[in-house]
Amino acid sequence: MENKEYDVVIIGGGQNGLICSAYLARTGLDILLLEARHETGGGLDTLEFCGHKYNLHAVYHMMAEVMPVYHDFNLKDKGVRYIYPEVQAAFLNKGHKPLVFYHDPSRTADYLSLAFSKKDGESFTRMYTDFKEFSEKIVMPLTYVPAMPSLDVVMAFNTAKDDVGKRYNEMSELTPVEIIEQYGFSSVVKAGLYNLFSMWGLSDYGGVGFLFPLYIYRMLNAALCVGGSHRLSSSLHKVASGIGVKIRDKAEVARVTMNNGRVNGVVLTDGTEIRAKAVVSTVDPKQNFLSFFDEEQIPDDLVESAKNWEWEKATFFGTHVALKEAPNYIGSDDNEDVNKAMMVFNGIDDIDKILGHLEEVESGKLPETPLVHVTCTTLFDPLQAPRGYHTCRLETLVPFDCDWDNIKDDYGKKCIDTWKEYAPNIEPLHTLFYPPTYIEKKLKDMVRGSFKQGSYKTFQIGYNRPNSDCSQVRTSIEGFYVCGASVNPGGMIIGGGGYIGANVIAEDFGVKKDWEEIESVKRARELGFIPEKL
Amino acid sequence: MLDYDVVIIGGGINGLTTAAYLGKAGLKTLVLEERGECGTHCDTVEPGIPGFLHNLQATEKVTGLSPCMSDLELERFGYEITTTDYIWGNTFSDGKNALLGATMFDTIDNWTKLSPVDAEVYTKGLVEGVDDGGWDELLDFMHNFFYKAPKSSGLDDFANLKVMRTLINAKGLDISPHELVQMNGFQACDLIFDSEYIKTAVLSGSWVGGFSPVHRQIGVIGTLGFGLAAGAVFPVHNSKGGSHALPHALIKCARNYGVDILSCCPVEKIIIENGRAVGVKLTEHAVYPNQEIRAKKVVSNLTLIPTFKDLVGEEVIGTEMSSKINQFCYEENVVFCVNLALKSAPQFKSAEFDDGIQRCFIGYYGGENSRKMAQFGSSLTSGRIFDDELMANWLIPSLTDPGQAPEGCHTCILWLDAPPTITNYNGKRLNGFPAWDSMKLDLADKLVDEFEKYTIGFKDSIIEKFVVSPLDIYRNNQSALKGNWMGGSLVPGQAFTDRPLPGIVRGGASRTFIKDLYLSNSIHPHNMTWLASGYIAACEVAEDMGVREQDWWTGKACRWYEENVDKIPINLGVPDS
Repeated sequence: MENKEYDVVIIGGGQNGLICSAYLARTGLDILLLEARHETGGGLDTLEFCGHKYNLHAVYHMMAEVMPVYHDFNLKDKGVRYIYPEVQAAFLNKGHKPLVFYHDPSRTADYLSLAFSKKDGESFTRMYTDFKEFSEKIVMPLTYVPAMPSLDVVMAFNTAKDDVGKRYNEMSELTPVEIIEQYGFSSVVKAGLYNLFSMWGLSDYGGVGFLFPLYIYRMLNAALCVGGSHRLSSSLHKVASGIGVKIRDKAEVARVTMNNGRVNGVVLTDGTEIRAKAVVSTVDPKQNFLSFFDEEQIPDDLVESAKNWEWEKATFFGTHVALKEAPNYIGSDDNEDVNKAMMVFNGIDDIDKILGHLEEVESGKLPETPLVHVTCTTLFDPLQAPRGYHTCRLETLVPFDCDWDNIKDDYGKKCIDTWKEYAPNIEPLHTLFYPPTYIEKKLKDMVRGSFKQGSYKTFQIGYNRPNSDCSQVRTSIEGFYVCGASVNPGGMIIGGGGYIGANVIAEDFGVKKDWEEIESVKRARELGFIPEKL
Repeated sequence: MLDYDVVIIGGGINGLTTAAYLGKAGLKTLVLEERGECGTHCDTVEPGIPGFLHNLQATEKVTGLSPCMSDLELERFGYEITTTDYIWGNTFSDGKNALLGATMFDTIDNWTKLSPVDAEVYTKGLVEGVDDGGWDELLDFMHNFFYKAPKSSGLDDFANLKVMRTLINAKGLDISPHELVQMNGFQACDLIFDSEYIKTAVLSGSWVGGFSPVHRQIGVIGTLGFGLAAGAVFPVHNSKGGSHALPHALIKCARNYGVDILSCCPVEKIIIENGRAVGVKLTEHAVYPNQEIRAKKVVSNLTLIPTFKDLVGEEVIGTEMSSKINQFCYEENVVFCVNLALKSAPQFKSAEFDDGIQRCFIGYYGGENSRKMAQFGSSLTSGRIFDDELMANWLIPSLTDPGQAPEGCHTCILWLDAPPTITNYNGKRLNGFPAWDSMKLDLADKLVDEFEKYTIGFKDSIIEKFVVSPLDIYRNNQSALKGNWMGGSLVPGQAFTDRPLPGIVRGGASRTFIKDLYLSNSIHPHNMTWLASGYIAACEVAEDMGVREQDWWTGKACRWYEENVDKIPINLGVPDS
């Protein structure tokens, strides 16, 4: 056993663990962060190989400049620079003009009016205005405060000073498809917008509608981290260790230890015992409640909810390639901006096709024709390849249960062939296939390739994530906290869980926070979207 | 962030070493790295099946030799060294092997089986050579030769070592040590050893240390000073967590002393004013686009040509100097690597002869005798891959550190010395350096097939393969022209006192002809994981800044190893037999 007792031990060195540790260290608490892998970062994983930087997991940072940690730690001056590509997304479809979404919404509206219909342009402006308002006034601030019971939320929104609350409530009752239908887009435009949501393996059901505007709005404002996604975690690592967080890698937690009904530390798989006043986990509920504790040690409902925890049914297959020249897409004759888009989607012109593809994947079937999208990071950030070369990342939704060891090369080639139909000039110099089995092998909490640490089902989102006892960070086990992607507000690079976790834990320790609540949260409080007590 | 005492361009292990020393000495120091991660040639990456950590270039380390171990307290910053019972093994097609042990005694046991005469020479030469003050004399020589600016008397100092005399006496040779040190590695080996097995082992060890035995002087230092002394005098080891653990420890150390390290910051220009280097300007793609940074001293950890041609510029150095610098040779000391994920550790056929080979994490195959080694040497200089029967290094880092592969699995690297500018392969004419993309997979298969001959069931144990050609190495590190791993080839005319080229450095080993501009790469001795060039640059910058005299700055080559040899874990990943 180590002689020292820490104030807080944090399990998992992904974005949430790093963020939580950095904030807590700022309050003067003595923090140890444990990472099972040889390096921290979790899904912020950039492989540098033969001069190319491959973002094997996360690449789009949808809340880049919004994340409180970005401002509170002045990450801008610590090597984290974001690029917001002017052309955010392009959809290429044979027989249609390319569908292009710009960072500047008025440019998108103009282009849609010209290339599709005047109505599409007007609808886009209307939708964008709505979604921006919903996101900025409500969803984004709520990403950075603990979860609220849904009834309280509905009530608060209905009685808020701004009527956007009521409108948001009405919209939230709909499914994503119903929401997009309301705006009256033509088929191709509708499919493209809808896909910005479903590309994350999110299916069309009622409970998830409240997230729809945020995904669309933020995926039209997504950013790339200069030097690759790992630059964010690397910078967080520097920041955290610089203010005294002790970070240990290759340190896998086997058990959380208890004394007199209270958590008092952890034991690592190598037998090392570490004492702490509190333990914070950023990993998934199954590890948290089924392997770190014995069933009889903890309340039945925690065990029960962990046993019922569902992983995502759709996961990713990645194909990463090095190129001598950037892709030249067939649609670029119509609109040369296609070649400058951050995300290029191929063959997505119909919402039913998207739903069918996802349904196929969710039922465990490997789609015969993959729906792929490609990001050529080097168009925006030449540092991600040797001078004169390019690095591309192709991604498609797949089921987990396939014989990936044996089929990954063939399926990867199929993805490349599909891509080649739209970008005939590509000749990969190197190719790395990244099947979902690798996701699970690399990141123990992304079981079955579950890159959000668990499905967004009605009973696994919002106040129910991971369950109604733990969604506000504290658990019914004294001294044990949770703030990973399996806890509200969930996965993606949003910097939410670790931030909320630090705020709650700092309160329990009674230490002074030297950071202020972010502006959007303050505004949401003023307007009545967030009750006082949170 | 705009004003520093010292700015270092390039966060390779030498740049980081210089930074850590200067930071510790109290100078405000900045390291600028173009890539995301520092320590390019000490990359450890996970490009395929997660859990298999692949060391793409440097794998075996000689860092334990370095004074940095104690001055920078690298262990305190997380650097753990591990090794196997044997630190070098040549395996031969007739089922024999020649081994160098981590201790002298194991070497003697193996050599006795191969050639009692050679074992006797080794025993007498080394044992007598290090008694009665010979040991301290040897270690002092190691420090003075490798960790200081080279002196014209350097080779004489080598010849004057007691151990050189005892080696010659043990063999009963009628030559002077001074004659011996003028030879090439083949000539020296022919004189000292009888056994072709042992000659091959020592010659290949010299090669992997960057000293090509084909060159006179260089080859003798390589075979007798490096190949033969490995294990007995200095450690050849691995680092826990992979090669990247070394830059990691250096980064932690440097940051501990207040050094700023910024990645994704390629440098566009070294700013020269009135003949002095006064700072740098970053490129437009850097995290801080076009940023200018001023410093009292600028250290370039890029190699010679990129430093002066790209960053200083011909307009500053003049056409004459520019064309001279253009001649700097990168053609030797280039490798072609095949990284493999394995289901099980390789089983050597020669284990029947001496099972020590199973407890050896680095070695050589295909080099059957010194004649074949010489043919190989000449194929390298003529731009031809020696493809009749390949000879190459094999490394199995997971034998020293099981954490680099999933449980029960292993990683392996086959490392072929290769001519970067290939003109000929398989009877076909090739267009030089760019040809690597087209033939690398074929060559990798061949290298694997060849290794299969020396092992049992090797090919069946392969799960995944990554091929890294010299061109790929260059793409990974565009300061490593031709994929050269040691900052420019160690060839006559650019070795020792001539390094990098006559007239580039003045009054030391790192001070260049441009005032306040230093090199920590391409300089003496050459780049390995012994951190020598970075150490020398740190000493010279610190002297010029008046901060060299500090009571902690006392490390000497090999001394850390001498004090810690007993606690180095051995065979952590060797499977139970």
